[in-house]
Amino acid sequence: MAGDTTTVAPSRWEGAPVPEPAEGGRKPRRSRLHRWDLRWSPYAFVAPFFLFFGVFGLFPLLYTGWASLHRVELTAPDEMEWVGLRNFSRLLGDEFFWNALTNTVTIGLLSTVPQLLIALGVAHLLNQRLRGSMFFRVAVLTPYATSVAAATLVFVLLFGRDHGMINWALGLAGLDAVDWQNGAWTSQLAVSTIVVWRWTGYNALIYLAAMQSIPHELYESAALDGASPHQQFLHVTIPSLRPTILFTCVVSTIGATQLFGEPLLFNGGAGATGGADHQFQTLGLYLYEQGWVNLHLGRASAIAWAMFLILLIIGAVNWLVARRLRRSS
Amino acid sequence: MRTHSRASRRLVGLAVVVALGAGTVAGCAEDPAEPAAAGVATAGGVGRDGGTTLTVGVFGAFGLKEAGLYDEYMKLNKGVVIKQTSIERNENYYPQLLTHLGSGSGLADIQAVEVNNIAEITATQARKLVDLGRTEGVRKESFLPWKWSQATTADGRTVGLGTDIGPQGICYRRDLFAKAGLPTDRTAVGKLWAGDWRKYLAAGKRYQARAPKGTVFVDSAAGVMAAITGGNETRFYDAKGKVVYKTNPAVRRAWDTAAEFARAGLTGRLQQFTPAWDQGFANARFATVSCPAWMLGYIQDKAGAAGKGKWDVAAAPRPSNWGGSFLTVPAAGRNTAAAARLVAWLTAPEQQAKLFERRGSFPSAKAAYDLPAVSGARHAYFGNAPIGRIFAGAARGVPVQIVGPKDLVIAQNLADVGMLQVDQKGRSSKQGWDAAVKAIDNALDQ
Amino acid sequence: MSGVTPGRRAGWIGHAVLALFAAGSLFPLVWTAIAASRNTTRLAQTPPPFWFGGNLLRNLRIAWTDANMGTALFNTVLVAGTVAAGTVLFSTLAGFAFAKLRFRLKNLLLLLVIGTMMVPPQLGVVPLYMLIAELSWTDRLQSVVLPTLVSAFGVFFMRQYLLQALPTELVEAARVDGASSWRVVWHVVFPAARPAMAVLGMLTFVLAWNDFFWPIIALTQNGNPTVQVALTGLGRGYIPDQSVIMAGALLGTLPLLLAFVIFGKHIVGGIMTGAVKG
Repeated sequence: MAGDTTTVAPSRWEGAPVPEPAEGGRKPRRSRLHRWDLRWSPYAFVAPFFLFFGVFGLFPLLYTGWASLHRVELTAPDEMEWVGLRNFSRLLGDEFFWNALTNTVTIGLLSTVPQLLIALGVAHLLNQRLRGSMFFRVAVLTPYATSVAAATLVFVLLFGRDHGMINWALGLAGLDAVDWQNGAWTSQLAVSTIVVWRWTGYNALIYLAAMQSIPHELYESAALDGASPHQQFLHVTIPSLRPTILFTCVVSTIGATQLFGEPLLFNGGAGATGGADHQFQTLGLYLYEQGWVNLHLGRASAIAWAMFLILLIIGAVNWLVARRLRRSS
Repeated sequence: MRTHSRASRRLVGLAVVVALGAGTVAGCAEDPAEPAAAGVATAGGVGRDGGTTLTVGVFGAFGLKEAGLYDEYMKLNKGVVIKQTSIERNENYYPQLLTHLGSGSGLADIQAVEVNNIAEITATQARKLVDLGRTEGVRKESFLPWKWSQATTADGRTVGLGTDIGPQGICYRRDLFAKAGLPTDRTAVGKLWAGDWRKYLAAGKRYQARAPKGTVFVDSAAGVMAAITGGNETRFYDAKGKVVYKTNPAVRRAWDTAAEFARAGLTGRLQQFTPAWDQGFANARFATVSCPAWMLGYIQDKAGAAGKGKWDVAAAPRPSNWGGSFLTVPAAGRNTAAAARLVAWLTAPEQQAKLFERRGSFPSAKAAYDLPAVSGARHAYFGNAPIGRIFAGAARGVPVQIVGPKDLVIAQNLADVGMLQVDQKGRSSKQGWDAAVKAIDNALDQ
Repeated sequence: MSGVTPGRRAGWIGHAVLALFAAGSLFPLVWTAIAASRNTTRLAQTPPPFWFGGNLLRNLRIAWTDANMGTALFNTVLVAGTVAAGTVLFSTLAGFAFAKLRFRLKNLLLLLVIGTMMVPPQLGVVPLYMLIAELSWTDRLQSVVLPTLVSAFGVFFMRQYLLQALPTELVEAARVDGASSWRVVWHVVFPAARPAMAVLGMLTFVLAWNDFFWPIIALTQNGNPTVQVALTGLGRGYIPDQSVIMAGALLGTLPLLLAFVIFGKHIVGGIMTGAVKG
């Protein structure tokens, strides 16, 4: 991530404070203020975030870390018994954890990749002159406006085994009904469908906003060079969107890792198991089951921190890959 | 509804200003008729007219409000206002209750607890709850002894009073039974399987041999299993508090019988309390379901007008209990004395009888069983079945069941992991059992 | 719609693809409305209903009265509005600093911001609740506003956007003229960030509107519910009719959609006109 900043040319404005001339001499008051402003304003700009985060984010985070080293139950959150790293070491042999991790990865891939690709295409179309562009923009965003609960409620009915609309349509096409919820792949596909449905329009809108800020001249000069619209998209639009694409990749990856509401509710309200075989139990859902169903806060905290570490690793890999790509280009 | 505190009014005003950046809308926050003000009343406080506001936190279809009991109490006690907060599912409600108990805030004056959680509440939260055994007007003798003892700590504090219990019958569809050549009269139907769940299985096989097209005998294997285990004194824990479900022959017998239902293709392969199950009722997909008293209303709602007069209730093979609840009073509440009085009134035999009459929740106060409202109760939707007699008979025969803190987790994993694999994924009985045991072991390990 | 829209006009294929995508986006919601206009029995039949029945108003009314919706809507507008305003303001400031300014510990702090996004939200709930209880904020709206008033996502989003959309020369030029940081923010950063601010504001508003997990712990239905808290009472069993539950889901979403339609022009307008003119 930090590599991105190298694209910004260093300037006086963002340079380190200029050393004061040794010979002293009264600088005009305004200039002192100016320097003071230069030096401290960045901190003032980031302060509100860190202030609120410190109060409402850091404390829970640290508490969770502390709790992960203890045996602590939701029935008595203030009674902690030190167990060291046991909650972490047992994850290594916890087949439910590994199952949840695998599911998280497969559902993550099944949902993130199509989501971002479709979003890019949709944003590209929305970026052209359209009849009824207003309608399309609102329509595309409606899934995002729908709460997870409402969305999943509908999809559970649509994916129903006996009376669902999708199986009914399959029947019309002469195909057998699918037991969506009980199959490993089918259930993951169904959960991914909900995710893709909810988030594609959202990502399209983010891409659209970024596309709007690409200077028109870039396209004009590309057109002068004889680039086709297709080539313009590949060689002007995509490279210009790089920070935004990186952003959506990071956010979608994080979202996929924490995926929770959709698999919980896709179970039709029958608990946090993620299906009879735990076939669509994600890490977020397993964390929830340990913490809020089995009431083991310590174990759940360890899962949370494990997720955190996994994301850090993904982030590091992401960064390395991005850096290599940038160097090669 | 219109009570409001000053501080929160000011907060609303402030937030509006912040939200909109300008003071333009702040003016409307000063309007006393502001709709938001109604919502800002602090729960459990003293109302404007000096009366007491009591809040009741419940889950699911508790029925107290629907049966008009709050209104009645408010009429009897001028100055008391009762408000109810309901969370649809106990699995959302219970962790929230624990969180609130843990911090001593956010609690309603009265909190309901489901029977599967009562052992854990009694064992771990007792000192945060009021001892209701000492409340004026509460008589231990009124209650079923086992219901009373389930919410009583080792040192004799009774932290929850029973509302209802779940004695079971078998709900069945007369029309489907007739088409399959089985008897339809509820006494004759009861005789089909009286005394033994294996006879219920045999009846299922008879039904399935001549079943009307597209129908099956029973909704789910897990439902059968829950019904059978509900009739045993020892279920998942022994009297010493040890987890024994793995070696308990009664649980294994229940498991094996239920698994046979699945293997013989007698089930609709549905999961209870999911939308698909509801649709099964609406479409008359299955001919029977083990039904605790509180489920009658559910069936009526889901099967709808089309099922009226077609559903009936017969006695279950053996007496058995499923579900039931308690009311507790958190000690951190502001009106514990008034709350305890309300609980005492709500759980008194007369009120429990009304709840049964109006909502079908069967009384846990045995003194209610002789009241005409209970003993003579019939259910119009279920072919005018004498539900008072049927369920009271079941309740009398239910053994004193040993409850344990993790009953819910064990029951859920047996049903939603193990038996569901057997029923819906076609796994063998052994595979399903092993999967359930593995999940339970993991869940119980702190 | 002047702005910098590439002049290309979408062909009929583009329109058709978009129409298909829009249909797919709208269908589940439309079907929610269809389901909300029927009843449980009809919903269970095959084929499922494809057109509206006559129960919509009745079901909406039941859902409305049973879920304390008036208070809930007012509260939700308040909460979501405050959270969106706070998030946009603070994220833009911090995003600008991270994108275009240089200061000590910048990279470390940025990593910290991104790191906070990775903390699974389910787990902060217990300690956060202890904190809220300590402050006596249970069932007060600030208990759901303040913890979400800033967002790491927002900071990261604005930073990525401003990296691309705010020319460093513009900032420098203002600087050379001797403008203070606040003037730069007001006259250079905010105009350049407007499209992203509009998007972020809308996204945050929606997110706050639909937030569920934390509010059901911190608020109660009778006290100070938000819409999602109010809807938790509309469950199976309590409300027996599946159609009423669907009506509740619809009620929770409709106001947002209305806002989209009404304010959509402004939001889109913000996107179209805010872009930097080079």
